[in-house]
Amino acid sequence: MEAIEINNLNLNFNGKDVLKDITLSLDEGRFIGIVGPNGGGKTTLLRVILGLIKPSSGQIFVFGKLPEEILKTGNIFGYLPQILKVEPNFPVRVIDVVMMGRYGKIGMLKWPRGRDLEKAMECLSMMGVADLKEMLYGQLSGGQQQRVSIARALAGEPKILILDEPSTGIDVVGQEDFYHLLKGLQKKFNHTVIMASHDIGAITTYVDEIACLNHTFHYQGNPLGALDEKVMTNLYGKNIDLLIHTDICDKCERLRRE
Amino acid sequence: MQKAFFVGILVSLVSGLVSVFVVLRKMSFIGAGISHAAFGGVAIGFFTGINPIITAIFYCIAVALGIEAVSRKGKVSEDASIGIFFASSMALGIILISLSKEYTIDLFGYLFGNILAITHGEVLLSLLTAGLVIVGMLLFLKELYLITYNEEIARVSGISVRAINIFFLVVLAVSIVISMKIVGIILVSALLVIPGATAQLFARKLSSMIFISCGFAMLSTILGLFLSYEFDIAPGGSIVLTAAALFFTALFFKRNQ
Repeated sequence: MEAIEINNLNLNFNGKDVLKDITLSLDEGRFIGIVGPNGGGKTTLLRVILGLIKPSSGQIFVFGKLPEEILKTGNIFGYLPQILKVEPNFPVRVIDVVMMGRYGKIGMLKWPRGRDLEKAMECLSMMGVADLKEMLYGQLSGGQQQRVSIARALAGEPKILILDEPSTGIDVVGQEDFYHLLKGLQKKFNHTVIMASHDIGAITTYVDEIACLNHTFHYQGNPLGALDEKVMTNLYGKNIDLLIHTDICDKCERLRRE
Repeated sequence: MQKAFFVGILVSLVSGLVSVFVVLRKMSFIGAGISHAAFGGVAIGFFTGINPIITAIFYCIAVALGIEAVSRKGKVSEDASIGIFFASSMALGIILISLSKEYTIDLFGYLFGNILAITHGEVLLSLLTAGLVIVGMLLFLKELYLITYNEEIARVSGISVRAINIFFLVVLAVSIVISMKIVGIILVSALLVIPGATAQLFARKLSSMIFISCGFAMLSTILGLFLSYEFDIAPGGSIVLTAAALFFTALFFKRNQ
């Protein structure tokens, strides 16, 4: 069964076409990157998939069910929102944050048990931040917070991970390690992953497929096919130059010689 | 005086627990708004001859839900809708009171607290409502915690965010009304803010914040009642000033750590 199936979805908000004619079919266990400019609807699309926003028209199914039904169960999705502002002195430790990821599985009117704590610690270890468990979440660095948040998303044993700009707050060097870790986990657990990012260069190496979104899909398919001038212009507008950094950066060489 | 201490401790336990979430969810203004709106609810009781505590509970719940409904529609901001409900309730109260001239002494008791006039019935009512509030809060504790941390993650986890938010508003309204007899309408919102604010200075996790907040509320109440008895000063003011003094002491201590 397909993990996500979207047919001709439209979302109109205050007279504006935020999402237009979106069609997407994603198999289970696949890792898709959604790239595009800010304001192009990436976050909105993720929120429609999660069931947080209702589309104006079109169909969307998650494992054959409507997102509203999935929203009631709480254990299909693991979600990393784009901006998670937590005050530095909010009484939540790293371990508490990850335990929150278990609440969907634990259910209402029940208290967490040993098994939940074990799973939470497992996820913290997988993300390499187990030693931070007693620290206050609000006092961690951006990169540490992201790792903890992903541990939280994983703790609920989700089938689908929805990550909105997960590399925010992580420096360029850290990002490589981060995507590498994410890819490793995804392969190990066969998670279906939908990741929104505007870091097109970095993610093309890690994702199975890519979709370029600026209110509508300008390209869907093989990641390398997105690195095409025509696609980039459609996506980002004119005056875009694509710099691909390999061991020898030809573009930078050219600019240097000019 | 015994009844005062007993109800005082019940009220501190409830206020301490609720205060944690009032402070974390930044609902201090809603707390102040609902507590002043209680004046309208009490006045309805005087005017109609029904027990003012009962009318106040229903009225405050209605105001809390009204604030939620009006600000949810999005046309009016939450703090504006609080201001509107707060002021109109007080105005309603003033009109109704002016139409029922005989009750000025009782009214004074509701505005400023009247621990000596707590009836046996009121003790039982406080016990019952405090029990319901505490059990309810404990049942939905983790959901409230997650919603406070991030509403969207809470929704994705399958929690009915709106239902829990409404539940908390009802809890808030009920907590305010049962605290009225001890500290009075005018000061009751202090008990919903100071214990939680003090606890947040020291707590690293939710359970600690709750324990410290409840403990602090109880200490302030007991000490405040004791001081009011010793020096023959108004109990409501005594409790709240004690709480404030303890808060500033804790803040000073924390700053110098």
